[in-house]
Amino acid sequence: MAPAPRKAMSEPGLWWLCLPAAAVFVVFFVIPVASLFGLSFNKSVAGVISYSNELTFDNFVRIFTRATYYEAILRSIWIAAVVSVTSLAFGYPLAYLIAKTTHPGRNTLLMILVLSSMQLDMVIRLFGLMVLFGDNGLINGFLLYLGLISRPLPLMYNTFGVIVGLVQITLPFMVLSLIGIIKAIHPSLEEAARSLGASRLQAFFSIVLPLSMPGILAGALLVFALSISSYVVPALMGGWKVIVLPIHIYQQIAEVGRWQFGAAIAVVLFVTSVIAVAIYHQAAARTSGGRT
Amino acid sequence: MSDIQLKNLTKSYGTYTAVAGIDLKIGEGEFFSLLGPSGCGKSTTLRMIAGFIRPTSGEIFIGSDEVTALPPEKRDIGIVFQNYAIFPHMSVAENIAFGLKLRKRPKEEVRSKVKAALQQVGLAGYEDRYQRQLSGGEQQRVALARVLVTEPRILLLDEPLSALDKSLREEMKYWIKDLQKRLGITTVYVTHDQDEALTMSDRIGVMQKARVVQVGTPEEIYERPKTLFVTTFIGHSNVIDVTVVSKGPDMMVVLDGRKLPTRGPENLEAGRAAKLVVRPENVLINPDARASVTLSAKVIGESYQGAIVRYRLGIGAQEIIAERQNSIGNERFSPGAEVMIGWDPGMTEVLAT
Ligand SMILES: Nc1ncnc2c1ncn2[C@@H]1O[C@H](COP(=O)(O)OP(=O)(O)OP(=O)(O)O)[C@@H](O)[C@H]1O
Ligand SMILES: [Mg+2]
Repeated sequence: MAPAPRKAMSEPGLWWLCLPAAAVFVVFFVIPVASLFGLSFNKSVAGVISYSNELTFDNFVRIFTRATYYEAILRSIWIAAVVSVTSLAFGYPLAYLIAKTTHPGRNTLLMILVLSSMQLDMVIRLFGLMVLFGDNGLINGFLLYLGLISRPLPLMYNTFGVIVGLVQITLPFMVLSLIGIIKAIHPSLEEAARSLGASRLQAFFSIVLPLSMPGILAGALLVFALSISSYVVPALMGGWKVIVLPIHIYQQIAEVGRWQFGAAIAVVLFVTSVIAVAIYHQAAARTSGGRT
Repeated sequence: MSDIQLKNLTKSYGTYTAVAGIDLKIGEGEFFSLLGPSGCGKSTTLRMIAGFIRPTSGEIFIGSDEVTALPPEKRDIGIVFQNYAIFPHMSVAENIAFGLKLRKRPKEEVRSKVKAALQQVGLAGYEDRYQRQLSGGEQQRVALARVLVTEPRILLLDEPLSALDKSLREEMKYWIKDLQKRLGITTVYVTHDQDEALTMSDRIGVMQKARVVQVGTPEEIYERPKTLFVTTFIGHSNVIDVTVVSKGPDMMVVLDGRKLPTRGPENLEAGRAAKLVVRPENVLINPDARASVTLSAKVIGESYQGAIVRYRLGIGAQEIIAERQNSIGNERFSPGAEVMIGWDPGMTEVLAT
């Protein structure tokens, strides 16, 4: 058995090593986000960013009394959940293939394929998708040319388009979370199952899949968090027709200038995401027997 | 339970041949070891028998069934891996029940068989433990129990002791052998450790560079090696340059100007240079009448090993090793001493270079 790794934190005199990271985290994340969240308890006034002492819950009351906002909450959760599942469905076979490919050349090629999609800026990748999926795009053009359809299929500027865009963006994250875990499952486990009488499929479902659970959970969580907070993808692929929470935030702050109300939606988005993740984590811990 | 037959079994990877035309018959209930250095193709052979590797050519029979094209799950085998491969997400009981559940045995039967299997391997009461709560030796036993409850026709073991520390390895060696004997299950055991092969096996197949070079009982392999490789791989041997004087059962060779009787194969013609092989424990110092061959030699070095003392001796320009029991009353010799050495010609062998 390998000796337990020494814990750096319990090593006297090494705690300061985490100071730089902590400083960056506080200055560039905690302070800006906390100040934005602080704004949400001020009265909403267009064009004003400074704090006032008058605290109010008006912004939150408004969010939960207007259908447009709580529908957006549900839509955000729903889309993020669908993207997580879809990304897993596409990502797992790919990750499995990469993890099981021992040929070094082929393995590198597959990894480059996955990583190269992360090399380009998200906006550029989405423009690529738009070329493919638009009403005058390649897919519709081709199907129209073949006469299989008489008018363009609605592939974009709807929920479907947003989901496709998000899956495209999040897939590499899913694959990367899975590869390491699948690689760590020793091949002899699968072979032991086979020798005990399990078919290839039975060995996969009784051994490999359960042992991939930590990667599946981590990947799905990551994809969920990326999806629920994405603004660019719903904006470009949804064409402002698929209104999720980040779109509301952007509209309130950038278009109407009501920072306080935008901040309130951001708080709701953040809390929603945290609650969803917590519920998911609980459920996951139960299904995997506490082995996450 | 069944015997195993390998017919001209071959595995090539591109131009590299990992296993080159092995022919073997392993008898029912036999404990057969494949012994050889790293990379000689032992695991590849075992994994072809198990069905994890498809042979390039050749045939595999278990009992009277040809299994060459069958997937592993249809072969009715049990295999224990070097790392034991205990399923980490299942308890010990679930691990052992795995094969029985796949065979759709009733719950009651599964439970009682799991219990009996744990008893058999001396781990009663370990049902609810997980892999991370088991020592290496315990994992080993669980792996065996998991295999044995399914009552496989043959048992395959790939270096099952190499991950254990020395004292546990000794203990498990005898334990596995006992269990195998009790069950009478045909067993193929892969190892690069000659001690394991010699103490556990009914027969050993020594492998070298993708081929089986000698098959025999431990005594035959140790005392009647057919090639220099076998004699140097199994234990220590003195390999001495000699010249053949006459061939056959009454073979004579010349060493250091003296004619010595020995044994050797028919194909070594007189006048040829050859190697005389004699084990260090068979080289006697200042022997009594038992040794019909005697030579004068000089002690070059002495090294104390506890139970034995090892001497480096010079015969002419050649050096050989002699080992003597370090028991009370046995004389010790210092470097520089002139001694007589001798051996029983029946304990020597002449091999082609
Ligand atoms: N998939 C493969 N592709 C190419 N060569 C392989 C492959 N698997 C094994 N080999 C080669 O075949 C030879 C035999 O391998 P094998 O695993 O049978 O050795 P072994 O006798 O079990 O050695 P060890 O004692 O180190 O386990 C080795 O030289 C190895 O490099
Ligand atoms: Mg091996």
